[in-house]
Amino acid sequence: MGKHTLLRAYLAGICVPTIFLLVVVMPGYVLLREVYHFSIPVERVIVFPMAIVPNLWGFWNVLYVAFLAKRRFPIGLYGDALIFILAPLGFLFARILDLATAQHFVFSVGPVVLPVGLTLYYLAWKYLVGFLNAELGLANV
Amino acid sequence: MNDNGVNEMSKRLRAVLEPMKDAGLKRDLWPDVLRKMDQRGARVPWFDWVLMAGLGAAVLLFPRLLPALLYHL
Repeated sequence: MGKHTLLRAYLAGICVPTIFLLVVVMPGYVLLREVYHFSIPVERVIVFPMAIVPNLWGFWNVLYVAFLAKRRFPIGLYGDALIFILAPLGFLFARILDLATAQHFVFSVGPVVLPVGLTLYYLAWKYLVGFLNAELGLANV
Repeated sequence: MNDNGVNEMSKRLRAVLEPMKDAGLKRDLWPDVLRKMDQRGARVPWFDWVLMAGLGAAVLLFPRLLPALLYHL
């Protein structure tokens, strides 16, 4: 392994959800709340996507680079597995933070959201995280 | 600081900072640039196009998915 390989892997992992949060999620929340006056407790909702999701992506990529990159395990499928950790965690956070709206969403779109989430994670990990790993020289370490 | 002061500072800095050794390139980087330019862009298999289309269709058909997806990204 090269210099600071795992640090680079962590940074490559957190990059995608961090940028997504800044460019898509935050403006979306602000738009819903300030423009459409949709009642969202942003301060509580944002905790999970801001603090937990990017860090888990980072650590997940560290594990990939440390153990699976050499074996050329498909990163898309590996990224998919993360959703089986994040989805229950997200639901748990929603319960702890008493986000009735989030819980309601989980139950109302439950059967559809899992395959869609798996597809989204597969594509995001394969093309975005995979690209960042390759650019940082982590593809075959 | 007057000119003398600037010159004195310049001399001292030069005295303290050693000149760089082996500052030149160890090899010609231009062939690597050409090789990179010749490389074709990443090819997306048809299966992934289908997934992308399915993802777009799902979001259009079930817009209520969006908050749940945004929450986990």
